[in-house]
Amino acid sequence: MKKILLFLLFFAFAKAEAQTKLITGTVKDTGGAIPGVSIVVEGTGTATQTDKDGKFRVQAAPGTTLIVTSIGYSTVRMPVTTGSVYNITLVNEENKLNEVVVTALGISRQKKSLGYASQELSGESLNQVPTSNITNSLSGKAAGVQVQRNNNFGGSTNIVIRGNTSLTGNNQALFVVDGVPVSNSTFNTADQQGAGGGYDFGNLASDINPDDVESMNVLKGAAATALYGSRAANGAIIITMKKGAGKGKPVIELSSGVTIGVIDKSTWPKFQQEYGSGYEKIYGPNRDQFFNSQDVNGDGVLDLVPAFNAYGSFGAAYDPSLLVYQWNAFDPALATYHVATPWVAPKNGPDAFFETPVTNTNSISMAGSTDNGGNYRFSYTNVNQKGLLPNSDIKRNNFSMSNTFKINDRLTVNGSGNFSKADVTGRNLTGNESGSGGGNYSAIVRQWWQNNVDLGQLKDAYFSTGRNITNFIGGTIDNPYWTRYENYESDTRTRFYGNLGLKYKLTDWLTADGRVSVDTYSYLQEDRTNTGTTGQVGRYTRQDIDFMESNYDLMLNFNKNITKKLNISGVVGTNIRRNDLRTVFMETNGGLIVPGLFSVSNSVSAPAAPIEVAEKLGVDGIYGLVSLGYNDTYFLDVTGRSDHASTLPENNSTFFYPSVAASFIFSNLLKSDFINFGKLRLNYAEVGSSAPANRLTDILQKPTPFGSVPLYAVNTTKNNANLLPESTQSYEAGVEMSFLKRRLGLDVSVYKTNTKDQIIPVEVSSTTGYTSKYVNAGEVQNKGVEVVLSGTPVTSKDFSWDVKVNWAKNKNTVVSLFEGVDNLQLGSFRGTVTLNATVGEAYGTLKGADFIYLNGARVINQTTGEYAKTSTFNNVIGDVNPDWKGGVSNSFRYKNLSLSFLVDMQKGGDIFSSDMAQGYRSGLYENTVGLNDLGNPMRNSLADGGGIILAGVAPDGSPNAVRTRMDTYNNALGIVKGPQALYIYDATYIKLREVAITYKVNPAFLKKIRVRGLSISAVGSNLWIIHKNLPYADPESGLSAGNIQGYQLGPLPTTRDFGLNVKLQF
Amino acid sequence: MLNFNFNKMKRIIIILSLIAVLTSCSKDLEKLNVNIKDATAAGGETFFAYAEKEMAGAMSDLTYGSSGTPWTICRFFAQQISANTYNEGSNYFAQFNWTSVYMNVLKNLDESRRNIEAVSPLTDAATKQKQNQLAIIEVMNVYTYTRLVESFGNIPYKEALVIDNVLPKYEDQKAVYTDLISRLNAAIAKLDISGTSFGTSDLIYSGSVTNWKSFANSMKLQMGMRIIEALPELGTTTVQAAIPGVFTSNTLNAKLTFLTAQPNTNPLWVDLAVGNRQDFVAAAPLVDQMNAVADPRRAVYFTTVSGAFVGAPYGLPVEYSRYSHFGDLFYTPTVPSILLDYATVEFLLAEAVERAIPGATGTAEQHYNAAITASFSYYGVSGIDTYLRLPQVAYQTATGPWKRKIGIQKWIALYNQGFEAWTEYRRLDYPELKAPVAAFINVVPKRLLYPTSEQTLNTANWSAASSAIGGDLMTTKLFWDIN
Repeated sequence: MKKILLFLLFFAFAKAEAQTKLITGTVKDTGGAIPGVSIVVEGTGTATQTDKDGKFRVQAAPGTTLIVTSIGYSTVRMPVTTGSVYNITLVNEENKLNEVVVTALGISRQKKSLGYASQELSGESLNQVPTSNITNSLSGKAAGVQVQRNNNFGGSTNIVIRGNTSLTGNNQALFVVDGVPVSNSTFNTADQQGAGGGYDFGNLASDINPDDVESMNVLKGAAATALYGSRAANGAIIITMKKGAGKGKPVIELSSGVTIGVIDKSTWPKFQQEYGSGYEKIYGPNRDQFFNSQDVNGDGVLDLVPAFNAYGSFGAAYDPSLLVYQWNAFDPALATYHVATPWVAPKNGPDAFFETPVTNTNSISMAGSTDNGGNYRFSYTNVNQKGLLPNSDIKRNNFSMSNTFKINDRLTVNGSGNFSKADVTGRNLTGNESGSGGGNYSAIVRQWWQNNVDLGQLKDAYFSTGRNITNFIGGTIDNPYWTRYENYESDTRTRFYGNLGLKYKLTDWLTADGRVSVDTYSYLQEDRTNTGTTGQVGRYTRQDIDFMESNYDLMLNFNKNITKKLNISGVVGTNIRRNDLRTVFMETNGGLIVPGLFSVSNSVSAPAAPIEVAEKLGVDGIYGLVSLGYNDTYFLDVTGRSDHASTLPENNSTFFYPSVAASFIFSNLLKSDFINFGKLRLNYAEVGSSAPANRLTDILQKPTPFGSVPLYAVNTTKNNANLLPESTQSYEAGVEMSFLKRRLGLDVSVYKTNTKDQIIPVEVSSTTGYTSKYVNAGEVQNKGVEVVLSGTPVTSKDFSWDVKVNWAKNKNTVVSLFEGVDNLQLGSFRGTVTLNATVGEAYGTLKGADFIYLNGARVINQTTGEYAKTSTFNNVIGDVNPDWKGGVSNSFRYKNLSLSFLVDMQKGGDIFSSDMAQGYRSGLYENTVGLNDLGNPMRNSLADGGGIILAGVAPDGSPNAVRTRMDTYNNALGIVKGPQALYIYDATYIKLREVAITYKVNPAFLKKIRVRGLSISAVGSNLWIIHKNLPYADPESGLSAGNIQGYQLGPLPTTRDFGLNVKLQF
Repeated sequence: MLNFNFNKMKRIIIILSLIAVLTSCSKDLEKLNVNIKDATAAGGETFFAYAEKEMAGAMSDLTYGSSGTPWTICRFFAQQISANTYNEGSNYFAQFNWTSVYMNVLKNLDESRRNIEAVSPLTDAATKQKQNQLAIIEVMNVYTYTRLVESFGNIPYKEALVIDNVLPKYEDQKAVYTDLISRLNAAIAKLDISGTSFGTSDLIYSGSVTNWKSFANSMKLQMGMRIIEALPELGTTTVQAAIPGVFTSNTLNAKLTFLTAQPNTNPLWVDLAVGNRQDFVAAAPLVDQMNAVADPRRAVYFTTVSGAFVGAPYGLPVEYSRYSHFGDLFYTPTVPSILLDYATVEFLLAEAVERAIPGATGTAEQHYNAAITASFSYYGVSGIDTYLRLPQVAYQTATGPWKRKIGIQKWIALYNQGFEAWTEYRRLDYPELKAPVAAFINVVPKRLLYPTSEQTLNTANWSAASSAIGGDLMTTKLFWDIN
């Protein structure tokens, strides 16, 4: 690396020959001189500002370009020639509003002409604080985009625009990179998503290198994405990658960053420090002690032994005068063998297991342009990430190039290619503890821990013996060090996506565009369970996944001024899409012959036959867009698309859907000094969608043969030969305005979207012989408001302050389901909680047992002092949908120093915490110890004045005065006794999401060492959870991406990430 | 105005025709949508074998938690074993899911029937085989539905397994039971012992129609006796008609022997040996009973602690190592799951004599002794003569009414048949079992709760069924449970 750097430095010095000179000038508009205008010498990092008289001085070489920008004015590019005095006139932007954005199918449009909402985010604003998953960088920055990240190592981020529209299908936005639809699938199993256990393999958009992104445009509604057809019915994120630009020698950019994570203690339990393992006072020969008694050392005297089999900490209070034989006193290989130790709280609590996560990111790029209008860019990025848990790392390498060649005046060829390789070792297990290796560490310590167990001793036991010594916590939970080092997963993915395009200018108003694009990856996932794991035989599994999507696009673009005032433009085109997915799953059977050798052939019994999946799908579409513009004030778009989809029955497989969008720039008629720009927009769109592959014909399950007897079984899902396309109808209206010389901007949208005839596998009563059935039914309505407010309260030569506020509220309602069914179960979880879509309610209600209420107060059982609860489990106890989401970002600049921060918030939304439910039951947390209303330890028996009085009333309405036991794991607050409603928490949060301080080194100084630009940034993300209601965990950390949300089991703590980045430009 | 020029027009036409050509390759698009890796049809015997395996597995399975297939909890309810760690299930806080029964067993029996009915036999032998196969499927259907109705009460029955109706109604338990008996009678009448059936695809009897007929009659005896107090007339005629055809030795036992490699091992072995959960200990009620008579079967049923058989107080969390566990036999992957055995039949015959049902021959004592002898012989245990002579065991001298004598010995013999042990306890009310002190209900459960998924997936019908039987509670008695 060092050598390359030296070489590049040399290269840069050798090339930086051109002589600069002093240039002076004045910047004015029709009203006179403008102060505080920014002037940048393109591609050099040299910059200045005009003084109060509008004058400026800057060093620039002939052949370079001055870029002159000021808020409220359109940018001017002034080539530097032989002259040295340049007087520049800026034009008010409202007169010349030509901001261009990239819309569906890569069509560039003037933003003012669009009849639908879109929100652009610059690469700079996205990447100021680096993230390993590009999806995360959208959090809080775009109104109506709900981003939910979780703390899984390399885990997936859920991204939903304008609410869930599909009852059980994909609700994720489409990612398009330079015209290439890039898969954002997840390969998380249904079990993983339902908290059963398994790995979160991340969402595949994480292969997009954030460093290569120039900008993102978020297309929110169906009208915006109508030309993409069904696959973008959930909105689209259109990513434009960086391109080479500017004349002259290439720009070489080096960037290097390091990020270190520190656990946010508010997202990790406060473990009680007073009592050790046990269920209650039931041990010893007469079942009336906290310890078992056993003659451990053979001296004929019974010794004290803690309750190894207990999955909880309702044992004896710590007492240093008691000497006990802990779990590590029974293995002769350990130094602690037959050593009795004082019964005290451990030195190393559960958080001692975590290591410091470190991420190193290094990248280099070279970009430039050629004389005839072509351009090029090459980049390489290397990311090395070490996780919170031992033995976890991610290595990612991205290579990309993008080139444009002008073959002649008519023909342009462009192409881009992105190659990435991501190698991951040691993702964390999620959900319930009974995963393949039996060890989501976080779930174990949050739910079943023995608080007396010392992590340092566990570490010693594993590293000194290499064995899994487990006579603690029921003997069924592995030493977590064993799990991390012997039972780890790994996965590796190589991916290529790119395109090749030809643009042919037929006439001055007509262009033909042809493009071939592919996205393909090969993905290997391996999982290991070594011999010696508790309750498991050794096991190795591998899944090979090969995916390819190709798209062939051909379109004719036209743009013609019919009269001086009337412009017509548009597209006619065709798109052919083919997807091909193949997976093979293999595993050993009955154990590993040689321990530690993880290959299918090392299987004790003959391995079962591999499980193969092959899915192909195709969609052929023809589309058209006609756009009329009159006097740059009135605009009308009409689109139509007809799709022929392979996945529907032949007679239903072709479907057409239209959209119409209008906009009116009313500010053109107002001529107001106050309102600089004002636009009304209105649209209606329909989108049709097809089914997933292979859903028309029933298939059979193939169980492993019973010896030589072949077995077949009916599949658990009933397919449907008569599927119809599903349809989405959406209305949207909005207003976009800017005031006070564009220092204040407002963009408001309202929308209503109805998705009907959904193609969904509905969960049905298994008494039908199936657990789910594909139907065409159901309707979900989403209504919402989005507001984007932007302002520049202060701007001057040395200091400026920009603010941006995003706020969105979405309300969804399940309008109808199917066949007389009024409840659809989306997921069912451990703890008898279900996630549902019920007619008349929001999509995503949590159901379970509820409290019994009397005039709003919880009724308490007057015999036990416990909560009275419903015997039924179909009571609505929560709604996972947030009331609203918002973000506020501020950026300040003082001379060369800038500071920005983003506050991200969510109001409402409910979450069920299995951790709290089990943690209460197991007596792990601080809130299960302490004094009661009598001043006695609540852990005392009732006879000894212990117990607590739950807030509530007796069935007759009088205040509850019955004390309930807190000296047992069968206490009133634990999951078995408490109703599910007790563990529902409000998921509201306010977070200081991002902070960045950047210093740009003075260009005058840099020039001396022939460097174009150098900036140093200190950044932080997730620095502070300002407010939340969920104890001991981050309300954002769910299970993984997908429709199953609102349930929490064993998430890792959130880390506060601190980073340092250096960017160097030659 | 638009200014057309021929050359430009030509280019545009080329592009437009290209678009047309590209679009026309769309014709055979639907051919992509074919599943080339999974079967869409298979022979009826493959579904039958799967259903048998699943049903046998479900009858043997157990779990440490409070949820699972319906019968995983029965060994606890019969207080033969206890959960030393998670005791909510053994304290009667338990939710069940009958998905494996309706979907894996009943749906596949139905699919097997559909496939077999669709085949037109060409020879007489094939006609007989088809008739026998359909009758055997019917016997398995009756066996499975009987277990459901005896566990839950009203259940989805005639409207079940019809995917076009996703909200199947529950039917009255008595009506279902009566219908099941007539279905069994019809199936017995169809079984033709001169023909063949499933051959090796029959994992229980390797296709022996004679054995199936004997199993069907034994089941009929069991069903008749189950309702003898609720529906005396039907019960009596059913028992009477069944007696001549029932099991006459252990060799006829309806059992499925598993294989050594997963997933075709006994699920019990997976629960105990593979999971190594250390969650199950022998329960004091059964161990104490057997200790009192030094029952030789203890050595098979349980392990010892310092040479003694020690049962844990039922339903309380205890230290695993202090108590006896499942014996080595159950730590074998191939250990058979018993659907119905000869000992059970002999106990029923003893009862038939006591109830003076026409057709019952011999004395109650003879059948009682034959039943215990069958149990000893099944587990390969010696000492039967001594055992039968013990005053606490001998039919003449054992304490209590005949229901108690038979009830207690049956309970011991049914150690590895948790469902039958619990069900016969409910019917005979012996042995005298009590709910643990801290239990969620204060009696030993009388039935299982409906799966909670029915509350969200089939709400109205679940609700109607619950009120029809007197509440979806574990304390609600089923129609045949008179006392």
